[in-house]
Amino acid sequence: MAGVTVTLDQLVAWLARFAELMAENRSYLTELDSAIGDADHGSNMARGMTAVMAKCGATPSTAVDELFKQVGMTLVTSVGGASGPLYGTFFLRFGSAAGPVAELDAAALAASLRAGLGGIVARGKAELGDKTMFDAMSPAVDAFDTEIAAGADLAAATAGSAAAAVAGRDATEPLVARKGRASYLGDRSAGHLDPGATSTAFLFQALAEAVA
Amino acid sequence: MISVVVVSHSPALAQAAVDLALQMVPGEKPAIAIAAGAGEGLIGTDATAVSAAIDEVASPDGVLVIMDLGSAVMSAEMALDFRSSDAEVRLSSAPFVEGLLAAIVTAAGGASLDEVDREARGALSPKISLLGPAAPAIVVAPPVTAGLSAEVTVINPDGLHARPAATLVSTLAGFDAKLTVANQRTASAPVAANSLIGLLSLGAKAGDVLTVAASGAQAAEALAKVTELVTDGFGEV
Repeated sequence: MAGVTVTLDQLVAWLARFAELMAENRSYLTELDSAIGDADHGSNMARGMTAVMAKCGATPSTAVDELFKQVGMTLVTSVGGASGPLYGTFFLRFGSAAGPVAELDAAALAASLRAGLGGIVARGKAELGDKTMFDAMSPAVDAFDTEIAAGADLAAATAGSAAAAVAGRDATEPLVARKGRASYLGDRSAGHLDPGATSTAFLFQALAEAVA
Repeated sequence: MISVVVVSHSPALAQAAVDLALQMVPGEKPAIAIAAGAGEGLIGTDATAVSAAIDEVASPDGVLVIMDLGSAVMSAEMALDFRSSDAEVRLSSAPFVEGLLAAIVTAAGGASLDEVDREARGALSPKISLLGPAAPAIVVAPPVTAGLSAEVTVINPDGLHARPAATLVSTLAGFDAKLTVANQRTASAPVAANSLIGLLSLGAKAGDVLTVAASGAQAAEALAKVTELVTDGFGEV
């Protein structure tokens, strides 16, 4: 049951579910990436999140900032592709914004997600419509804020943000990539979902499932 | 001397690019560290490996980072958050192979971080002037006024190619003088004689006459040395 806060256990469950989704969709993500990139997104993310869960299992964290610092640094060293620094920065900033606490209320989760999104922007310099993970993450974070402001509980707000991420992901299909490896393809990148936006939609799906 | 960090998706690519560049440096070499691959033989980059490489060769004169593409750039940017040394670090937009070669040769000549970065970033211009439309004149040197000048003829069958040009750059590193070189056949603008990229962009062939101008405390000695080098075919004729 969703409470008024997200606990450390639920945050670990979020990561575990995201790791599961990356493993299950490894081939799908790599297939998307082989259309417009270097065909490594699925294997990179699956490997990175497997390493994250191994680290979390070996040295459990007692605070949110500590947990996400570990997550971010593990992704940076184990992913290999651009999604390493990007997801790594997302989680590092998420953790710094959350601070040394054991649970997050709606406002703290909103601030942490917003800080993570800011990290993606700082690292990737992407804008809406560039056909990147930002196209899924930005509407997801906005939707979370909107839901909370409208009085939704955490379960409804994270579900709303997951739906917004999926819509943002789907909107990348007709776009021509302006960032990353896919931008070398120019017009040929249109007609494919962006792999990064797709993994980001799974990230918000995992959050909604962990909080529900 | 500044040091150079090489960031690549592939350790083999990085090592080969460094080897290629070091062929041009007979004497003292800058410290070079490679951060390449994502570990376990995987193609990719790792920001913590880049920060470790920066710390490994950190020089008080600065560190220039040359990257291949994509995540290499992002990992290098992220490495700046992780490194523990406080040396000045510059991420160069230079092309990987040409830029690395220009950076290592120029760094070996004792050039500053700014100069090495400028050379590396301009490293595509010889190729552009050979193959493409007119390249932007990025290597034009400020005119040497009130100095000495000399005319010398290139005798090397392959012209003033990369190896003799690198010899010229490294020889001039020891002189307190500013020199420029222009190619009379192409009526080129003068380029700095300590610029490998500038010298290559002259496109000087066997038989071309170069105008060398010099100023500074050791202008005469430097000019004599250049004249001797060119006339002697840079020891390779």
